[in-house]
Amino acid sequence: MKKLFEIFLRAAVVLAGTALVTFTLLWYAPGDPAATIAVARFDSTVSAEIVDKIRIEAGLDAGFWPAFRHWIGPILVGDLGNSSVSGTPIWPEMRTVIALTMPLAMLGMTIGLVISIPLAILAACNQGTWIDRGAIALASLGAAIPGFWLALLLILVFAVKLSWLPAMGTGTARHLILPGLTLGLGVAASLTRILRSALLEARNAPFLPAFIRRGVGVHERALAHITPHAAIPVLTVVGLELAFLLEGAVMVEVVFARPGIGNFLIQAIQARDFPKVQAVVLLTAVLFVVVNLLIDISYHLIDPRVGTQDA
Amino acid sequence: MRELRPIFIIVVLLVGITVFGPFLAPNDPTAIDIPNRLSAPSEVYPLGSDAMGRCILSRLLYGARWSLGLAFLVSTIGLIVGSLMGLLAAMGGRKIDWCIMRVTDIFLAFPDLVAAVVIVGVLGGGTNSLILALSVTSWTRYARVARGIGLGLSSRGYVIQARLVGLSAFSIARWHYMPTLTSSLVVVWTGMLARAILGISALGFLGFGVQPPTPEWGTMLLDARIHILSTPLQMIWPGMAVLLCVLTINITGDVLRDALAKKEIRP
Amino acid sequence: MLNVNNLTVQLGGREIISSISLSVAPGKTLAVLGESGAGKSTLVGAILGLLRASSGQISWAGKPIERGKAALVMQEPRSAFNPRLPLRRSVLEPLYAGKLPDDPARLERLCKGLEIDPNMLDRLPYQVSIGQAQRAGVLRALIASPPLILFDEPLSALDAVTQKHTAKLISTLQQEEGFAALIVTHDMGYAAAHADSIAVLRSGHIEEMATAENFFRSPQSQYGQDLLNAAVSLGAIERAVI
Repeated sequence: MKKLFEIFLRAAVVLAGTALVTFTLLWYAPGDPAATIAVARFDSTVSAEIVDKIRIEAGLDAGFWPAFRHWIGPILVGDLGNSSVSGTPIWPEMRTVIALTMPLAMLGMTIGLVISIPLAILAACNQGTWIDRGAIALASLGAAIPGFWLALLLILVFAVKLSWLPAMGTGTARHLILPGLTLGLGVAASLTRILRSALLEARNAPFLPAFIRRGVGVHERALAHITPHAAIPVLTVVGLELAFLLEGAVMVEVVFARPGIGNFLIQAIQARDFPKVQAVVLLTAVLFVVVNLLIDISYHLIDPRVGTQDA
Repeated sequence: MRELRPIFIIVVLLVGITVFGPFLAPNDPTAIDIPNRLSAPSEVYPLGSDAMGRCILSRLLYGARWSLGLAFLVSTIGLIVGSLMGLLAAMGGRKIDWCIMRVTDIFLAFPDLVAAVVIVGVLGGGTNSLILALSVTSWTRYARVARGIGLGLSSRGYVIQARLVGLSAFSIARWHYMPTLTSSLVVVWTGMLARAILGISALGFLGFGVQPPTPEWGTMLLDARIHILSTPLQMIWPGMAVLLCVLTINITGDVLRDALAKKEIRP
Repeated sequence: MLNVNNLTVQLGGREIISSISLSVAPGKTLAVLGESGAGKSTLVGAILGLLRASSGQISWAGKPIERGKAALVMQEPRSAFNPRLPLRRSVLEPLYAGKLPDDPARLERLCKGLEIDPNMLDRLPYQVSIGQAQRAGVLRALIASPPLILFDEPLSALDAVTQKHTAKLISTLQQEEGFAALIVTHDMGYAAAHADSIAVLRSGHIEEMATAENFFRSPQSQYGQDLLNAAVSLGAIERAVI
């Protein structure tokens, strides 16, 4: 119970910290934030009175902490505020683009798992052989390819040369294949390495020699005993890949000109629409903290001894 | 250390290109030559020219200074800040440890690229905000590794002895923590160097990186992207450059880690 | 004189040591006997200031013990030395830390007393035998002349012959140097041969405190009697007395 409390306390502190960091960055952005909003909303010829009005309206006149409270207050009750450019509420628009990114992220994760799990098992069961080395080489190559360049290469081969798949846009399932593949190959590269080490570590766990002496076959061992031990790292890995998926979504959506949360962020930055930027950044961090909270709780449920000291 | 020799040669080669690349370049990387734009490889332009007729090979060689040099700088800043924070967490007692670890949690909650894009986008382009954008999340990895190893060392007999006789915290860190930490931190450093190269090129590709006309590999890819139909080769070279650098550095890191692991097993 | 008064130590919410009082005079040796888990190492940690006492006082000559005034000889001889540094560097560390001048004459005298070949000090910890390492450990504890030295199972890592020899060297040096010694051990033979007084520790409190002479003649507590019987049946006392 005490540990569970510690897990929640930690998550709460980290959430508060991410909110503070997000706000601080945009507070200290160069230029007068009120003027930035005014210019974004109207044009560069706004009068000083309008800028002052916006300053008071956005709570920017009383210094850092009041402005922070003014910003975080509505967010705590689920209101992400309005775009400083269009003045429309941010959340409905964000919900739409998140719904567009979700299938992409899920396809990427699925492709990543489908490639990496067999590859990692194959490598771990043949440790030191050419199969193992080949798998590692593939994973190293995958980890070293810039994601956006891989996307361009896939476009070049499958869209330009072979004309099998559309290069850009959205709409049909076919539009999803190349972006999903780009993400999936990246996920597979990092997962293969992590899974392989996790499997090798589990194979060297102390209970295994007893089974070997009892003559349990290699493949039975692989399936029945290694797999549960690998569960904890896998859980962690899904949490780790989350960051990769979010970064990947930004890259892939830009390259394939897909609307989604990544493109939404880039466009918001280019328009200097700070409330939107803050909303995306904060939501990303919250998602990350929540996923890690869930992981910590499941660790705790799987094995209450695993805990809070080491991390 | 014999197995390290080929790796050593490659590293020297990479550093050599970073430092001496501009001297090897056949042309001025910013010289515009519109009549010969998007030309195929020729004697004048060994790898062809880009949309403004600039020599791609020269741009690649000059670009190394940005792509590799900046990555080197950024990962070293992370190394210094991160290992100091990690040491402080390991040596400063439970409360300081808890606080520092929560700070790393906070920074880790922002995906590197998202954080970098936002920082550059908000603070504006320029080398300073680029450096800040790339180091702001990377130090946490060093901090976690340094702290993990450091906590293990804190219960070692010789560290306890050093504390008992009243050796200063600085001396304890210098003599009893740093020598053990260094090898692991160098391995992390190679990994972060590779990530930084990828990060710089990604920022460049998104238009948030080194500002044109300065040649940088990611920005070159951004330029090349529009001409994917007519001159696909133009897009291959900068990508290959990034890939080869990252691959080399990662392999160096792996070999280094294995060599150090072997050394540690020996008493 | 070391005075421990009503010391209680809690670790992770559990009381490891409850209200212990003891004292050791300069030049004297107190042996703390007990099974593993009795709280011996916790007691040592608390006296050295590595663990915080929940209540009670620890003092030397009426004042709290400063860093550098109490030294420790550890159970695992090699672990007391940084594996990357030559022994000499570690042995002299108390001098660097206490900003004391290097005293080659003292080092030489102590080396002689501990039968250490000074050249051995230029080796790395894993290049010397465990017995040599433990003597270097004693040397390290003695070098800055601390008035109090704690020995945490100092002989248990050594073989029987080396044990006896090392114990004798320590005892002789104590007579010359006059430090107070607190020896935590479960080795009855060692305690019988070298201790002036005995404290029997059992699950965090002191079961019995007596002079060595009285304890080994007739222990007052049942637990002390049991410990002694177990040791006698192993022949430890005979070995030590012969």
